[in-house]
Amino acid sequence: MVTLKRRKREGGEFSAGSMADITFLLLLFFLVTTNIDVDTGIGLVLPEYVPPEERVDTPISPDRLVAILVNANGDVLLNKEIIAIPQISEILKEKIRSKINLPKKKKLIVSIKVDRETNYNLFMQTLDQVEIAFKEVREEYSLGTYGKKVKDLTDEEYKDVRAKVFKVVSFAEPEEVK
Amino acid sequence: MKFEKKRAETKQEIPTSSMPDIIFMLLLFFMVATTLREQEIFVKFVLPEAEAVQKIENKRLVSYIWVGDNERIQIDDNIVQLKQIQKIMYDKRVVLPNVIVSLRVDKNSRMGLITDIQQRLRKADARRINYSARAKF
Repeated sequence: MVTLKRRKREGGEFSAGSMADITFLLLLFFLVTTNIDVDTGIGLVLPEYVPPEERVDTPISPDRLVAILVNANGDVLLNKEIIAIPQISEILKEKIRSKINLPKKKKLIVSIKVDRETNYNLFMQTLDQVEIAFKEVREEYSLGTYGKKVKDLTDEEYKDVRAKVFKVVSFAEPEEVK
Repeated sequence: MKFEKKRAETKQEIPTSSMPDIIFMLLLFFMVATTLREQEIFVKFVLPEAEAVQKIENKRLVSYIWVGDNERIQIDDNIVQLKQIQKIMYDKRVVLPNVIVSLRVDKNSRMGLITDIQQRLRKADARRINYSARAKF
């Protein structure tokens, strides 16, 4: 008689040694296909579009206004004086500081106007200078009032800093060229 | 007297069975923390540099407009004409009311083109924009 030998059951294992390699491959795939570089840039909100016939000119007192003009050759005019782009932030900072304690209606307005042929890079450098000026004055004010850096402020303190050093950047309405 | 060699009773191997789990954790972290690169860019551009740059806090709100060195404009996966921008951006804004438009413009572009694009964005009421720039240190 044939004896039916029960076969010894083998443990249900599979080799897990290569599992790590497989997951590494997956990991590498994700590392390659994703972009970790964060988007950086200068953000702003454009003014609402108003059709030309509905536009109203609001008079602004000249001591509130800083008009920056950049022409096609890259010459910069700040309140009718020729200056170089890196000077903008210094001039602006002084003006912003002098208006910290004024009400919102009397804060500084920075107007940037460019020619159609102006180089985009020059415009960005100009805008950057304006941003730097506001950022640095905010930092100064924050340190002076709260003894903290802007990024460490609470929401309410930050609101106050933003209201005191209020940023208005205006872009001149493009003129129709026929 | 006999000296017996003392032998360590523990095994000398590192348990590797939990290795895949650790790497899976890493993998999951990367999958969650990153967004896939989904767009192919057809225009050639070099971004300008700026000092006072901020990070865009919410990447999922961002919609890009590329402007290349030969003044070609790309939105999503298409090269578009200037006059199409208003409609495209309006549609985007309807879907995503707080869309941020990131302008990735070549630094040697003329401002005329940028102004034209901006005017169309204003008409489409997609007014939150971001001039993309590399951080300068």
